[in-house]
Amino acid sequence: MQGRDLLRFTTRSALSHRLRSGLTALGIGIGVTAVVLLTAIGEGLHHYVLDEFTQFGTNIIGINPGRSTTFGAATGVFGAVRPLTIDDAEALKRVPFVLNTVPIVQGTASAEGGGRERSTNISGVGPEMPAAFDFQVALGGFLPADDPRAPRPLAVLGATVRHELYGERNPLGELLRVGGERYRIVGVMESKGQVLGFDLDDTVYIPAVRALELYNRQGLFEIDVLYDKSASADEVVAGIERMIIARHGGLDVTITTQQQMLDVLGSVLDVVTFAVAALGGISLLVGGVGIFTIMTIAVRERTAEIGLLRAVGAGRGQVRAIFLGESMLLAALGGVGGLLAGTAIVALIGVAVPLLPVRLSLPYVAAAQAIAVLIGLIAGVVPAQRAAALDPVAALRTE
Amino acid sequence: MTFTDCTRVALGALVRYPLRTAMMLLATAIGVAAVLVLTALGEAARRFVAEEFQSLGTHLLVVLPGKTETSGMGPGLMAGESPRDLTLADARALLRSPAVAKVAPIVVGAATVSFDGLERDITVMGSTASLLEVRQWRMAGGEFLRDQDWDRASPECVIGDTLRSELFVGRQPVGQWLRVGDRRCRIAGILARQGMSVMVNVDELVIMPVASAQQLLNAPGLFRVLVQAAGRDSVMPARRDMEQILKERHRGQEDVTVITQDSVLATFDGIFGALTAALAGIASVSLVVAGVLIMNVMLVSVSQRTAEIGLLKALGANRSQVTRLFLTEAVILAAFGAVAGVTFGQAAIFLMRSLYPDLDFDPPLWAVAGSFLIAIGCGALFGILPARRAARLDPIAALAGR
Amino acid sequence: MPAPMIRLESLSRTFQVGDALVRALDQVDLGIEAGEYLSIMGPSGSGKSTLLNVLGLLDTPTAGAYWLNGVNTSAMSDDQLAATRQSQIGFVFQSFHLVPRMSALENVELPMLLAGLDPAERRERARAALAGVGLTGRSDHRPAQLSGGERQRVAIARAIVMQPKLLLADEPTGNLDTASGAEIVRIVEGLNERGLTLIVVTHDAQIGERARRRLRLRDGRVVEDLRTTRP
Repeated sequence: MQGRDLLRFTTRSALSHRLRSGLTALGIGIGVTAVVLLTAIGEGLHHYVLDEFTQFGTNIIGINPGRSTTFGAATGVFGAVRPLTIDDAEALKRVPFVLNTVPIVQGTASAEGGGRERSTNISGVGPEMPAAFDFQVALGGFLPADDPRAPRPLAVLGATVRHELYGERNPLGELLRVGGERYRIVGVMESKGQVLGFDLDDTVYIPAVRALELYNRQGLFEIDVLYDKSASADEVVAGIERMIIARHGGLDVTITTQQQMLDVLGSVLDVVTFAVAALGGISLLVGGVGIFTIMTIAVRERTAEIGLLRAVGAGRGQVRAIFLGESMLLAALGGVGGLLAGTAIVALIGVAVPLLPVRLSLPYVAAAQAIAVLIGLIAGVVPAQRAAALDPVAALRTE
Repeated sequence: MTFTDCTRVALGALVRYPLRTAMMLLATAIGVAAVLVLTALGEAARRFVAEEFQSLGTHLLVVLPGKTETSGMGPGLMAGESPRDLTLADARALLRSPAVAKVAPIVVGAATVSFDGLERDITVMGSTASLLEVRQWRMAGGEFLRDQDWDRASPECVIGDTLRSELFVGRQPVGQWLRVGDRRCRIAGILARQGMSVMVNVDELVIMPVASAQQLLNAPGLFRVLVQAAGRDSVMPARRDMEQILKERHRGQEDVTVITQDSVLATFDGIFGALTAALAGIASVSLVVAGVLIMNVMLVSVSQRTAEIGLLKALGANRSQVTRLFLTEAVILAAFGAVAGVTFGQAAIFLMRSLYPDLDFDPPLWAVAGSFLIAIGCGALFGILPARRAARLDPIAALAGR
Repeated sequence: MPAPMIRLESLSRTFQVGDALVRALDQVDLGIEAGEYLSIMGPSGSGKSTLLNVLGLLDTPTAGAYWLNGVNTSAMSDDQLAATRQSQIGFVFQSFHLVPRMSALENVELPMLLAGLDPAERRERARAALAGVGLTGRSDHRPAQLSGGERQRVAIARAIVMQPKLLLADEPTGNLDTASGAEIVRIVEGLNERGLTLIVVTHDAQIGERARRRLRLRDGRVVEDLRTTRP
């Protein structure tokens, strides 16, 4: 029997019971739809989170004070015997392949300007921050490259702060009061939106040293190192370690590469996607039970036909192939239907709820398809075997 | 036809095709069991997190220096830096509120500890005697920090269990002098093993009087202040009082954030509750698939039993009786399937419980009841089409088996 | 003298029915030459259908040997048996056994489909076979749209389309009215005249008497074997 004849034969017999075949395929289809949809959400989440992180660039290494970690961050952020200083940040610029370093001090304070006041995040940073994190300035410029140890009292506003304090007015040149000091506003950042629920735009950027004074701190929270993409992260990390040991007499910092973070995050999100795919797979399993049941019924109903096929020369293998083929065909039909429905719903969500990150995961779509057919195969084995084992004489006697 | 007769006839029909009946039961059971197992998982996660937060203490409030107006814990707030430090005097002032029972100021930082040539990087926590009660920690030996003047930087400390096992192999640590950074402190006691508690590994802590830690870390401000309210009803008054007291002390500026344990707990409860509901929803999809299967097989069975239906009609059965007969069959299938599913599910949960005794797997009652109802609902809903088809059969044609 | 097409040597087929052992065929010895026209008659339960099934390689004997064209069939595997049925044997059943969802043409194509023949060739040969039984205009009809006689003619076309040497008919007129039955008999006899070996199982004496060689079975034994020379 030729392949396409087998296909035609099974299609015809599946079509002869439209409603029954349709419902059987529907069972698998619902399962595939569930898998496609759930993995699309998982994949969407994956991309959403990774995009949020990679928007700061991937060739960044973070250095935090202290070796131990607590609260998910290096403990030294909260206080360390040996602080990280502006001088450390300057010295790290001399490490091979390092393009820039950005000292960071973070905290909250009240900012007064334009006749209003707002509790906001005040970040002390270096002039290279926009280049390192790929932030754009909307108005004016960023903090100028002053002497990092004695910078002028200048400030740059995040979009939210600007809007809350000055509305649509141009704040450039205005004075902003933060913790008893007056800062001249030299720029406004373009909106970056929220990252994991935190409004990046609710921030005022001032020079790092001035933030240390504001918060009465000795050391920086973090030094971010931007390195040449052509260099390997390991190479750069080794250089940083040598520099820190030379300056501090020991390695008393925690070094995290962006790539490490992305890898960890990526693998966690992969597990999440896999888990939701498996959950959708439960429906596929139930659909498989449906195929098995319907195929068993079909073998029983078509006993006489099986007898005839054997009489006109079909071997057991051919009978088996016919029923296995039918079972797989039903599963594949359901799979394609589920794929179309899932894709349509994903597209619909993309249009109707643009905030919900959905994205078709092609590997999972393909896997769902393959598993659907595999389920058809497995569910068909026992009925097909039963059909092949029928005694032709007895089968012909059934009406 | 009475209900009992209807059930008896339906059961008879189901028993006649044992394999397909078993398969429909299996399909429904898988769906119900999936709902149970998944909601049990979600519920276990919810309880685990709730217990984690409850283990922080009772009627707990946390004061953080700094405040932002947009929601979300940004790095600025997490780090707790603010132009005006939260001071020991601030913390002491909180005791003025009648709603406040205990106050534990906290400073944290990184330091290197060493003993007898062994060295380790650890987290130093500075606090007061009340911390032990507020956090409900237990001691493994010795004493916790003495209840003394908060400003006194006495050279004593309490160490966690990991530190004990790593630095004092086979030795009694209590009474020994430990080097912490550039200082020395006498070990007064050892904390019992607690493991991770809300992202802090207690076993790796060194706890010293808050004034000593401030000097060691050169940190004039406090990182957090933990406050225990006098009782459950005092939590909100305590929060109001504390905000008022700190506003007065900070010259009218509201520059601190007060978080109540209950609000954090409620947030997590909400998140995990939604997660559990979502899992139940996903698992219910398989119940719909099982319903489709029941409909499919019932349709087959209607066409195979055409002659029987014709006979029933010839004997005087009306449409509603035939409909009822087939609907009963579908509902019985779904109900038995659901019972089997609850049994499977509970067995799987029992297995999970014996594999992970630390987690409290138990499906919520709403999930058990809900999956049961959905299963029966699916059975009834998907039974309607075949039942109506059977009821509409023309008796003469049906008797002829056409 | 050439070897006979079919040779049965003390062939037995027994069935276990409950506690009893039923001898459907009991030590049957039989030789059939190519081109013969043979009828098998006897009361129900005499073993005539079993004999036909054994001859058609659908059933396997419990004892004895069956030589078909000089080959001992008891040594054949299931697949070899299927292949032999496909190429050498055609069946016509009392209840036609047409696949209801297929057209007449497709039913005739079925054996060629299983044999893996090309669609174009299948179509051509099926049309020719249908024309041979006088159903040229009915090839696209479903079995349900055909009369009983027409259905049986489709079945005959299907049985001969692989050009077998042996045509086995089990009560071919049993479900038909007299006129249609006579038509079917005329068709199969015509095939026999063109050299096809024809074996008909029937309880209709009128039809049985038409065969040149008539076997009568009782309790699994051949009790009568009559031959008439061509008139």
